[in-house]
Amino acid sequence: MQESSFKSNFSVIIHAFNSSTEILNGVIKSVKKEGEWKVLIVDHMSMRILSSCCKMSDILAEGVTIVEDINKRREPISSLEAIYLISPVEKSVRALIDDFKDAAFTYKAAHIFFTDTCPDGLFAEIGRSRVAKVVKTLKEINVAFLPYESQVFSLDDPNSLYSFYSSKPNEGKEKMIETLAEQIATLCDTLKEYPAIRYRKYEKENARLADEVYQRLTAHKADNPTMGEGADKARSQLLIVDRGFDPISPILHELTFQAMAYDLLDIKQDIYSYQSTGIGNSNDREVLLDEDDELWVALRHMHIADVTKKVTELLQTFCQSKRMNTDNANIKDLSQMLKKMPQYQKELSMYSTHLHLAGACMKTYKASVDKLCEVEQDLAMGENEEGEPLKDAMKSIVPVLLDNEIKAYDKIRIILLYIFHMKKGIGEENLAKLIQHANIMADSNIINNLQNLGCNIIGRNAGITLPERKQRTESTYQLSRWVPIIKDVMENAIEDKLDRKQWPFISDPAPINTTQTAVSARFGHWHKNKSPTEYRSGPRLIIFVIGGLSHSEMRSAYEVTRATDGKWEVLIGSSHILTPTSFLNDLKSLDQIQNSRMNFNAQNGLKS
Amino acid sequence: MRDMLQRLQTISEELEDYEPELYGDEYDVDKGTLSQQAVMFENTSPIDDILKEAHSISKEISLLHLEVERLTINNERFGTSVRRLTLLKKDSDSIARGIQQRGGALHIRLQALGQESGQLEEREGPNSAVSRIARAQHDTLSHLFRKAMNDYNEAEEMQRSACRRRIKRQASIIGTEITDEQLDGMVDKGGEGWTELSQSLQGARSSRWAMCEIKGRHKELVELEVRLKEVHDLFLDMAVLVEEQSSKVNNIEANVCGTQEYTEKINVNVKRALQYKRKNPCQQCCPCLPCWNQNRLL
Repeated sequence: MQESSFKSNFSVIIHAFNSSTEILNGVIKSVKKEGEWKVLIVDHMSMRILSSCCKMSDILAEGVTIVEDINKRREPISSLEAIYLISPVEKSVRALIDDFKDAAFTYKAAHIFFTDTCPDGLFAEIGRSRVAKVVKTLKEINVAFLPYESQVFSLDDPNSLYSFYSSKPNEGKEKMIETLAEQIATLCDTLKEYPAIRYRKYEKENARLADEVYQRLTAHKADNPTMGEGADKARSQLLIVDRGFDPISPILHELTFQAMAYDLLDIKQDIYSYQSTGIGNSNDREVLLDEDDELWVALRHMHIADVTKKVTELLQTFCQSKRMNTDNANIKDLSQMLKKMPQYQKELSMYSTHLHLAGACMKTYKASVDKLCEVEQDLAMGENEEGEPLKDAMKSIVPVLLDNEIKAYDKIRIILLYIFHMKKGIGEENLAKLIQHANIMADSNIINNLQNLGCNIIGRNAGITLPERKQRTESTYQLSRWVPIIKDVMENAIEDKLDRKQWPFISDPAPINTTQTAVSARFGHWHKNKSPTEYRSGPRLIIFVIGGLSHSEMRSAYEVTRATDGKWEVLIGSSHILTPTSFLNDLKSLDQIQNSRMNFNAQNGLKS
Repeated sequence: MRDMLQRLQTISEELEDYEPELYGDEYDVDKGTLSQQAVMFENTSPIDDILKEAHSISKEISLLHLEVERLTINNERFGTSVRRLTLLKKDSDSIARGIQQRGGALHIRLQALGQESGQLEEREGPNSAVSRIARAQHDTLSHLFRKAMNDYNEAEEMQRSACRRRIKRQASIIGTEITDEQLDGMVDKGGEGWTELSQSLQGARSSRWAMCEIKGRHKELVELEVRLKEVHDLFLDMAVLVEEQSSKVNNIEANVCGTQEYTEKINVNVKRALQYKRKNPCQQCCPCLPCWNQNRLL
């Protein structure tokens, strides 16, 4: 397919995770037969993985004609064979066995692909069932994680913060740590990495998880010796860090496009909904914000002040190149342009989407958030925009707390930033006063629950103080001075300056392999329509955050990678991606028991 | 990727050795006849029909794609060869018209598939396998068709730019500059535009060959514009269709989450209910009893 001039404006994405190749080629294409269609059956986890790297049109192109949920009752289609792409868990395996237990089989035959190693017990059950008679393929693949972005992964477990830091007893915790460790090991396996594992000291969960990951990783390497092969790979590192290490980044109001949009607008499952007149009757638009949208990829880390300018500029250039009248290249005229040149609908709707999205962000910002940003930045940095240390923080936050127009959660964010600014926490009385001024009694447990993460709230615990920050000289927008702490860590790790006492290794780092290993340059399609790229042979820094990842931290991974000129690749991930609101919701339920927590989530439209 | 088929079959065979009576005759997937429920049997045929039509449409789209590639290659030859210009031009025009015809026919077939899909939804319910299969095929094929037509548009656009560049270059060779606006005007006026231009160039240091070149390119541009106008409506139709669908339609998670539990066809259950009712002992012995009255209401 020819590259249009639109695409040539943006650089090609290189995907570290070859999940889409793994699934499309390794699973679906491998059992494709010309002229025959198949049913694809997934469970929740595998569906999420599949959906994050393939589209319906991709799998239909490889012979799948319908996708089913294994946990729902399904219509028998005995003329077609079925591909089961499932996790090796009891619920899914039972459903698989049930499909073939009656005289009438649900499907003609079964091709089974497990997303991870199948435990012996379940495997034997399958062997004993009638499935064994109709199975044509049975494989275990390594896709136990979601490639959320080209350098960001998720393990799809939004319960993680609760599981690790809840004050209530949690029986599933051991099992959960093992599962996480296995997923992280699988991730390394897919990347062909055998990194040195380090963890942040002071928080015992980090060491526990790091240890478990090390064991799983070693087991994976025994099955797959190519992991970690290559002279550069010996320098790869995996860092395990806890959410409490940087509690500021997830609650600050960010002004870069992606972070701001997810914070201020209601974007669920990465879908942005808005209204726009077009050429037809329908005015509802629902757009998926993912890496298939080249404009999104180009804009997502940009400061909002630059976004609208950039989009308008690009739109004008586009119109000029197609010789369309560009006197008023703005949102209103897009539908006119669409009528004149409907063949450019894809491009025009991309511009429309991002103009609307930027506009929506600015509208919400001007309504209430602009009052907050200056205060927040001063508190987070400990100094004002001129570099003068903050003298009376209380004075700057009181007007905000007393303002009835400001939402409860925004007030809580300010209070938390104030507490972190005080470094050693504040007195109980002072906290009570602040809560009263702000009128947020109902949500006040959020603040206290942060102690579960090891943060200093009430001044008595001698807990951890936030680390010394790097001095940065790049010029930034006044309201975007804050740099996520993890960025300092990333840079230090790459320069081999990361303190070994604060970030111990699980085992001694592997000796640098001085013999030249021939690393074959593998040319493959990393991501469906992008051009082929070489197999990555340089070292990687993989970071896993326990308890959730914020957008500003995701951005840091890309910024640091770019700064190394491609020598290093930084990947970052967690159990889930959080927004400030979802983080506060998670914190709120830390002191509740599991059932009431699930009700809370259900009531608030969150996944349980 | 680990292949575990062998291991499974070993387990299965071992069990057979121990308990052969639990396993009937060896079931051979490819040869065995399956007992089918009456309900399902009716559905397999519509599924086969949809899949056959979908397969055929997808083959047509591939051919369309090949034609677009042919057009691109042919257009590229324009730049290199000068001699068989008129033939090349004819080829481009005929290939492009062929593409438009194929495109038009495919569009009609896709619309028909879309209607069929809608009717299936009404007859069998939107959650039945055949409706979902039809809808997914229609959505995907429309998506592929749009891609192919966009590629065609791209090829025509590139050719248009190339032609315009060549005209300007030729004009500058003979000492005249033609601006974009002048060029637009020329093309809009069709044949007259050429007459106007040739008159205005009479005085200039003219070269027969250059004039011929310009004339040829101009004609080609005019034909190209005509073709693009003809295909405009098709693009408009496709754009309306895309607007009506959300981008969720190609998203696997949205598709899977939208499925519902399968309930067997309602007439089968009603028949069963009637059977139970007839066999109801309460009805057979004493219809006046209160428990029978209660059951009757169910």
